[in-house]
Amino acid sequence: MSRAASPAVGRAARRVVESDVCIIGGGITAAMVAERLAERTGASITVVEAGGRTVALGERSDTRARMLAYGENPWPNDHIRGQTGTGAMYNSMVVGGAAMHWGGAVPRFSPEDFRLRSLYGVASDWPISFDDIEPYYQEAEERIGVAGEQGPPEYDPRSKPYPMPPLPLSYSLERMREWTERTDIPFWTQPWARNTEPWQGRNVCRRCDTCFVCPTGAKYTPDFSFDRLLAGGRIDLVTRTLVRRLRLEPGSDRIAMAEAIDRDAPDEPVEFRAGTFVIASGHAWSSHLLLLSANPRFPNGLANRTGNVGRYMTAHWYLAGFIDLPMRLYPGMFVYNSLLSRRFASPGPLDRYVRHDLRLWESTVGRAPKIMDDDGKLLWGDEIMADWRARTESESTARIRAYYDLLPDRDSRLTLDPARANELGDPMPRIDYRPAQESVDLQEHTIETISGRFKELARAAGGSMRSIGQPSELWEHPGGGCRMGDDPATSVVDRWGRTHDHENLFVVGAPTIVSGGCANGTLTFCALSLMSAEEMENELPSA
Amino acid sequence: MAESRRTFLKQSAATVAAVSLTGCAPEAAGARAAETGGDALSRADDATPVPLPAETLRAVAEAVLPDELGEDGRERAVRAFERWSEALEPVAELSHAYLVPEIRYSGPDPRPGWVAQLDGIEKECESRHGVSLSDLGVSGRRELLVRPLADTGPDLGAPENADHVALALAAHFFGSAIAMDICYGRSIRRELCRSIEGAEDEPAPLGAAP
Repeated sequence: MSRAASPAVGRAARRVVESDVCIIGGGITAAMVAERLAERTGASITVVEAGGRTVALGERSDTRARMLAYGENPWPNDHIRGQTGTGAMYNSMVVGGAAMHWGGAVPRFSPEDFRLRSLYGVASDWPISFDDIEPYYQEAEERIGVAGEQGPPEYDPRSKPYPMPPLPLSYSLERMREWTERTDIPFWTQPWARNTEPWQGRNVCRRCDTCFVCPTGAKYTPDFSFDRLLAGGRIDLVTRTLVRRLRLEPGSDRIAMAEAIDRDAPDEPVEFRAGTFVIASGHAWSSHLLLLSANPRFPNGLANRTGNVGRYMTAHWYLAGFIDLPMRLYPGMFVYNSLLSRRFASPGPLDRYVRHDLRLWESTVGRAPKIMDDDGKLLWGDEIMADWRARTESESTARIRAYYDLLPDRDSRLTLDPARANELGDPMPRIDYRPAQESVDLQEHTIETISGRFKELARAAGGSMRSIGQPSELWEHPGGGCRMGDDPATSVVDRWGRTHDHENLFVVGAPTIVSGGCANGTLTFCALSLMSAEEMENELPSA
Repeated sequence: MAESRRTFLKQSAATVAAVSLTGCAPEAAGARAAETGGDALSRADDATPVPLPAETLRAVAEAVLPDELGEDGRERAVRAFERWSEALEPVAELSHAYLVPEIRYSGPDPRPGWVAQLDGIEKECESRHGVSLSDLGVSGRRELLVRPLADTGPDLGAPENADHVALALAAHFFGSAIAMDICYGRSIRRELCRSIEGAEDEPAPLGAAP
C-alpha cells in the first residue's frame, strides 16, 4: 500500500501520495506491471487512472442488451469530455482502458517482426529478438488466460503449450477450414483471451458473440486484475485523477513527482511521489504526457533529449474482401471466432518485401434481408423472406482480411496540438501518421500479392471473389512514439522500457514498439510490459 | 476489425427484443428467456413515451411482415417492436467506433415522427378509400406505403434509423435472431449465450427439441 496521503505544507491545499512505484494509466499494460510487481516484490504500488470505474460484471448483461438493441455504448461514461485528440486513437479513459472494449484477439508477433532490417533490408531491427520476448509472451498468456491452437511450429513458434485448449470452431468455420485445406495455406484458430476452462475464478466462454462486452467474464479485461490486487491489499488504485505533468528532482534528471488533478476536487491538486514511475498510458497519451512535461532542462519534453518522443508512430493497414462460397453456412453460431494463417508473416527469403497475416470469418454480406430486389422493386413480407432464402440456401459469404505491416517514417508523429485543449487548458495530442517511403513504394506490390492470395483461396473453394475493398488506411493497433532501441540517438527507451534520459522513468507497452507487425498488438504490448517489470524488480524491495 | 465491428452492431440491432418473439418455435421460448438472463429492455429515465397507434400499427404489420408468421407470430412481432421502441432512448451514447476519438450519439426520438406517420396514413386511407387502414385489403395498404418506402434503398438497416415506421417495423423483425432462424429453417439462435460445446454441430431444424 502507498504511504499515508498528507497535505503538503506551505502551498495551497495539496494532497501527496507516496509509494515505491507509481503507474500512470489503468489499462492492460498497467495491469500486467502491477500484477508482476505485486507478486515478486514488496514494493508499494499506486496506479493512477484518469477515468473512473465502469459497469460491474453483474450489470454487463443489461448494457449488452442495450448495445444489441440500439448500438449503445456498453461502457457508458468511459471517457472524459474534452480529453481527446486528433488522429486514430482510443478515447477510452476508464479502469481497464481500451481493453474494456477489445475483442480479445491475442496473436504473437512473428520472429521476423523483430529483424526486418537484418532479414529484409527494410525498417529497423528491434533491440530484442523473438527469443528474448518469448518467455514474456507465455507469461502474458498465462496472466490473461489465453485459449489457442498450436499452429505449424514454423509459423507459430512457442516453447510451451497455450494455457488453455482452443475455442471450438463453429459448424461454419469447420466447413471453411475444410475448404482451406484444399490449398497449401495452413489455417488454424485465432488465439483468444477467452476461457475454455475456468481460469483465475472466471467463467468459461458461453459464446454470447458480443465480446466487446462479455457478460460472463470469460473474456479477460484488466479490471479483473485490479480487483484481485485490491482485494489482496497489494495496490492503491486512484481513479478519476488526471496526471498532467511529471516533475524532476531539483538538480537531477530523476523524476520526483507526477502532478495530477482530482476530477472530483479540482481545486486540490494531487502529487504522486515515488521512486519509480511507469507511464502505461497507451500509444497516444504516453508521448503526450512526456511532451506536456517540458521544463527548462528538457525544453522539448521529458525523455526527449534527442527529439524522438512522439516519432515513429506505427501500426498496420489491411486489405479485406468477401468470397462467395458454394456451400451453406449458418452465420451467427459463433461470430467471434475465426481462422488464422501466419504463413505469410514468416515468408522465408523474399525477392521483394511483403508480409501479412490472413483471417477468415463467416459473413452475412450479400446474405442479409433486403426490402428491394436487384431491380429496385419493393418487396413485402413473404417476398422479403423468399428473396433472403434464395440467397442463403446454397451459397454463403466468407470475409477475408490481411493485416500488412507499415514501416514507420520518423515524421509519423504525435505532437501537442495548439488548436485543441482540454478543459484545463492543456493542449491535446495530434497524430499525423505517415508510412516511410519504402512502405509507400511497396504498397502496389503488397496489394497485388495479397489480392492474388485472396483469389487463390476463392478458387480453391470453387467460389469467386465477391469484392476486394480498397486498402484500409486506418492505422490499426497503433503504437510507437517512445520506441525502444540501444542507441539514444534514434530511440526513447532501452530494451527494458527505461527512458534513456531518466533512470527512474519507464514507458511500457504500445509506445515502445519499433514496428507494428502484421498481427493484433495487445499481447506484444503486454509481453513488453512484463519485460519492463522484470527490470524494475531489481531496484525494488523484495517480497 | 473496424469494419466487422460496425457491421456487427448494425446487423444485430434490435435482436434482443426479439428474443421473446418465437412465432415459429414457441417451444423454445421459455428456454431462451431463461438463458438470456432476463435481458429485458428498459429506459433509464421515467419518461412515458407516447404510444404508437396500436390498430394502425397492426394494419401496417400485415402489409410488411411475412404471412408465414401467422396471426399469433405477427402479433408477437408487433409487441416486440412496441417494447423495443418504448425503451429506446434518444441521443444515447453509441458504441465507440474503433480508433475514432469522437464520441457519437444516436439521433433524436423517432417515435413522434412514427406516430405522425401512422396518423397520416390512417387519414390518407380514409380520404382515399373511405375506410380505416385495418379495413382496407393488404394490397391497398401496400399501395399506400409504396411512396414513403420508395426511397429507402435496398437495405433494411437499423430500425432506430428508419425514416418510416413501416420500415422500422420490418427492420426490427427481419434483423432479429428469430427471423434468421425462420429464414434458414434452423435453430441458429444468434447472440444467445450458451455452452461452447456443440458449436461445431449443424444447427437443428426448427421445431426439433432444443
